[in-house]
Amino acid sequence: MSEISPEVPDNRQDAPSHVDPNSTRITKPGVKRLVLTLSVLFSLVLGFPFLWKSVEIYRSSLPFGEISEMESNPSLSFPCRFQAVFINFNSNPSPNHLQLSILDKITELTSNSSQCGACANDLALSVTVDSISSCTQTHPTDNSNYYRCGAISAVDFDFSNDDDDGVDELLESVLGVKNVYSVVVVNGGGEGIRAVVGKYRHAWIVGSVEEEEEESVLVSRVAEIFVKMFVNGGTENGLIHGEFMPVGADRRIVLSFNLLNAEPNDWVYDWDFQRVDETLLAPIIKVLGPIANISVESQVLYHTPKSSFSYWDEKWKSYIFSTKDLPFFVNSNEWHLDTSIAAGGRSKILQFVVYVPSAKECPLSLLLPTGEISKTNGFISPMWGGVVVWNPPGCLNSETNHPSRHTMSREDLQAVFEVFMGQFRQLFGLKSNNLYIGASGTYHLLPSGKGFTEWELDVLSRQFACFNLHSCATTLGSLSRLVQSLPRMIIMDEIGKLVQFSLEAAKLAQSNASLGDNESSAGQARSLAEDAFFHPSIMSISYYSFEHCFAIYSPFFLPVSMHVLLAALREWKRYKQEKAKYTAWKAKVKVES
Amino acid sequence: MQIEASLWNASWATDGGRMQISLSYAPFEARYRGFDVARCSVDKSSDMNQFSSSGSVLKQGGGEEFSEELLLKPFPDRKVLAHFHFQSRAPHSSSHGRHHHLFPKAIAQLVKKFRVKEMELSFTQGRWRYEQWGGFDPLSSNNAKPPGVELWAVFDVPQSLVDVYWRNLTHTLSGLFCASINFLESSTTYSAPELTFKPSFGNLRYGTLPREAVCTENLTPWLKLLPCRDKAGLSALMDRPSIYRGFYHSQRLRLTSSESGSDEVDSGIGLEQTLTVVLQPSSWRTGKTYSVETNIQPSWSISSIFGRNIPGKCVIAKSSNVYLHLDNGLVGELKNLERENAKYVANTFESEGFQSNHAFKISVTPDKVFEEVDYLHGKSTSVIYGFSVEKYSDSQPFDLGLTWKIPVVWSCQQAPLHASRFLMGSGNERGAIAISLESTESSEGLPTSHIIDGRCELRVDIFQVVPWYIKVYFHTLQVFVDKQPRAMADVVDKIRVSPSKDKVSPGVMEMILKLPCGSKSAAFSLEFDKGFLHIDEYPPDANQGFDIPSALISFPSFNARMNFSEDEFLNNSPILSKFQETSPVLSYTEVLLIPLTTPDFSMPYNVITITCTVFALYFGSLLNVLRRRVDEEERILRSRAGRKAGWISQLLSRLSAKLRGRPQEQPTSSLPYSFISFRLVLKILLVASIAVTWQYYFG
Repeated sequence: MSEISPEVPDNRQDAPSHVDPNSTRITKPGVKRLVLTLSVLFSLVLGFPFLWKSVEIYRSSLPFGEISEMESNPSLSFPCRFQAVFINFNSNPSPNHLQLSILDKITELTSNSSQCGACANDLALSVTVDSISSCTQTHPTDNSNYYRCGAISAVDFDFSNDDDDGVDELLESVLGVKNVYSVVVVNGGGEGIRAVVGKYRHAWIVGSVEEEEEESVLVSRVAEIFVKMFVNGGTENGLIHGEFMPVGADRRIVLSFNLLNAEPNDWVYDWDFQRVDETLLAPIIKVLGPIANISVESQVLYHTPKSSFSYWDEKWKSYIFSTKDLPFFVNSNEWHLDTSIAAGGRSKILQFVVYVPSAKECPLSLLLPTGEISKTNGFISPMWGGVVVWNPPGCLNSETNHPSRHTMSREDLQAVFEVFMGQFRQLFGLKSNNLYIGASGTYHLLPSGKGFTEWELDVLSRQFACFNLHSCATTLGSLSRLVQSLPRMIIMDEIGKLVQFSLEAAKLAQSNASLGDNESSAGQARSLAEDAFFHPSIMSISYYSFEHCFAIYSPFFLPVSMHVLLAALREWKRYKQEKAKYTAWKAKVKVES
Repeated sequence: MQIEASLWNASWATDGGRMQISLSYAPFEARYRGFDVARCSVDKSSDMNQFSSSGSVLKQGGGEEFSEELLLKPFPDRKVLAHFHFQSRAPHSSSHGRHHHLFPKAIAQLVKKFRVKEMELSFTQGRWRYEQWGGFDPLSSNNAKPPGVELWAVFDVPQSLVDVYWRNLTHTLSGLFCASINFLESSTTYSAPELTFKPSFGNLRYGTLPREAVCTENLTPWLKLLPCRDKAGLSALMDRPSIYRGFYHSQRLRLTSSESGSDEVDSGIGLEQTLTVVLQPSSWRTGKTYSVETNIQPSWSISSIFGRNIPGKCVIAKSSNVYLHLDNGLVGELKNLERENAKYVANTFESEGFQSNHAFKISVTPDKVFEEVDYLHGKSTSVIYGFSVEKYSDSQPFDLGLTWKIPVVWSCQQAPLHASRFLMGSGNERGAIAISLESTESSEGLPTSHIIDGRCELRVDIFQVVPWYIKVYFHTLQVFVDKQPRAMADVVDKIRVSPSKDKVSPGVMEMILKLPCGSKSAAFSLEFDKGFLHIDEYPPDANQGFDIPSALISFPSFNARMNFSEDEFLNNSPILSKFQETSPVLSYTEVLLIPLTTPDFSMPYNVITITCTVFALYFGSLLNVLRRRVDEEERILRSRAGRKAGWISQLLSRLSAKLRGRPQEQPTSSLPYSFISFRLVLKILLVASIAVTWQYYFG
């Protein structure tokens, strides 16, 4: 350590005796040590980014921009194909004029609602005016799928009588084309205007039209049927009804029916569910097949009191629970409705409950806020299911002490399941009235024997695609927010890939929808997004905190960097000092010489 | 009518082997789409008639049944056993499918989804005391379980899929019963016994979790499977504080499902739920008067044990009975006493109706009395009193009481050999496991059928699972009979060993032993090394030690079964028909606790710190060697010493001088003290302000 390097000039020996070594220097100061210390310092500084990179937490890069873009606008636009057929119009209005006025009306009606599923961009309307003498038609793009002239007049059917089902079947046989919604306007018949929406994808309006004003009324009605019925499904608030689409990501629904005997010591009711399943539920399940894969199971539970209170009302001669009590009616402590093991992880379970009250609350009725007794005596809870209170027959006068076993009669079961059917439609956001009161008049809706009409199914399938895309967007959005809020979270490549695929599927769904295919891709996007969000590795937040890092690296880097910094500083200082001395001496020598 | 699909892995099906099936994704699920099945129409009217004629069947809940029973039994050590037995049956599911009336939906779906043929799950706390509570009767053979969770299941699937189904089953059960059964998913925790446990064809899996704590959160989901839960019927007795205060608590669930067609009566799913508790009757109040006679049994009643009464039956139950069981030891003792008394009092003894005799008194008149019939030996037999709960209600609850009048001492019948297991050796490196079998009194009368080739032999099966971190050397197996070492071949008839693989599978040992009849004791010892665990594999409380699951000792040549005289009532009572079934005598050994080396989690950090310090020192000194000019520094130092700088440097130079052993010339202080202290104060202030700002911004 105390070795003297020979390069360093020894001032005391070489210098003349009058030179003070503290103030003057006659040789050039060496830079060897300075270069050495500085190179060590620089290599340390340069190495630091590499170290920082090596201890960094692995985060697969997620496309945050694309996600937020999709979250802001998760919309699908479906193509809409409409046709209006005017029959027996003597005044012979021009179809082009009618087409323009109907399109005006449609844009007027859709302008205030720009939700997912609306067909603002891709709309095609064909108008045919078919009278006995002539037939004129407008062709939007291709004419293969539309109405052929004279087809209805050829059948010669009387629209004015009340056989709606017959008309419906007839129109289906004439117009039965997929993807095209039709409205047939028939001039003639009796007084007033009557509008009926059928079970398939068409509606008809019968009325005598003589004047210009009447024609504009017809036009607005036609437009209303197109927009409010065929596009929006007869619901008030437009299509997306948000998160409430009770279908699982794997397109499965499990309908779990429960018969709850509140107090089996009073009476025990059982049901023959097998028969109900075969006769009442099977057709509906088949109809809903394209939208969801439905399975049914049932159980009977005992000792399941409700958790809200009811009081005796002399006016109604029954025990009353009001709508205020509904949030407390479902007793989750005692009602072991259970999630189904048979259902997969992503299936949606809808619970339908028949509640048989105990003897001390026996005719149990739901009082509506309007002050009337509910006819269905039931209620729904969105995304959960429905409850129907079924009062056993003659429960007021039966004073038997020992419990009796009964089976629900077929009529009772039928009644209960009709209510359940309405509740099921309601859970999907569909109404069960057979009258729709629109802005320009009332419409009769023909009920389908299978529970859902075809245009309703179309609405549901569009709604499902929208819902899937929407939930995919929100899932990805919350994932990206989560990832951004936790900087020390490890994100594996798998998650990045899943997010990527999900975004691609969503884009595919958006492009497919405009081609008329509202299947699968959106659902795939949703399930991929959920896969990413629920990936097991997402919980692996690094516990390697900053303090930890500091504690591990400081025993090495703190002393080393101190040494290096001080050495560089000292060398630099000395070099400057010696240089100053040398230049001063040089100047002095110059002056002397 | 059926549709079949098959999965092909042949070359033509897999694009010449390029797109092969990865079996790691099994089980595969296939779905059929878009076809209609036409079938012949069935004449509905005949079906209807059948329905209406058998209306009573429908009233019974579509062929599903439920029955509840409770068995009470006094033990010699002043404790009382309460054994709840609930049985549900559902007919085969192809006809009734997804609709249930009484049978728990969750269980039916579980059986259907996981193709479970047979399954038993038990949650136990405490240890069954075989010496005092008996080990020979069907009750102890079926219901004495090892501590913690024990699960075994037989699946109706091909052998290659059994593991997958087992894993899925454990996950579902763990969700269903709020327990950590999902730890049995890992292949290190379960095994596939073949020889000793149960006759199986490779589709049986067995796993235990000895450390699982059992509490009410496991009981509540178990009760949820009963139609009345604990709202009515016998289960209303389950007052949580009193049943968990007991000495032994075991809740068990056993499933059997059989395919339809084989035999019509038994096809379907059977669910047997039992809760076995051993309780101490609180008899301090009455016990005071008998304080002199210490060995009189405490008098008890249902309300004094459980703090509740039975408020009538569960309405849905087919039958609801309570039994009082007096075992053969007790009955024999009572008869002896009776005979002695008869010498003094001319009192005729009726064997049937001694519910109010001189030894004890039962508060309720029994509806039925069953006596065990022992055809083999003319020995004393046990007696069961049956009480029906049907006629009791909320206003008139059922409360059974037993009052002792005189002290009675008896003992329960025990298994032929009493098994215990213990650890040998010390230290954290190696040890040995020993299983010892001690003969009990009851083995004296061996059935004659075991005399083979003129030699009387006693067959004992041992099934032992050892976790992989206990590395057992099976070649070190030593056998001692009557404390004399014996060759293995003399005693061991058959042995199957599957050695453990590290972090893959546990070690399993199954042995079939043939012990000579007269032997008083037998012992086996196995040596092992303790393995090292990865830091992740330690449980949260590593210092507690690691549990080795109980070994299962069974005596297949002895049958734990009771014979009752033929009675119509017996067939309707699941608990009594269960007693009449033939089952081998089983007993479990204790759980062993092995301490392993516990990890020191601060060690890596210490190592890092010391290595870093050494490296830093080396680096610093190397840098100094390269950089320093010693002669120049010395010169500067000398000149500075001449200038006499601050008092700190003076102090330092004095110190260094002292170290060098040279006298220091006393410097004359020329600089004013105030100036130095001002600089010092400035420095201190600077450091303090840096510290404060650091604290403020980063602290």
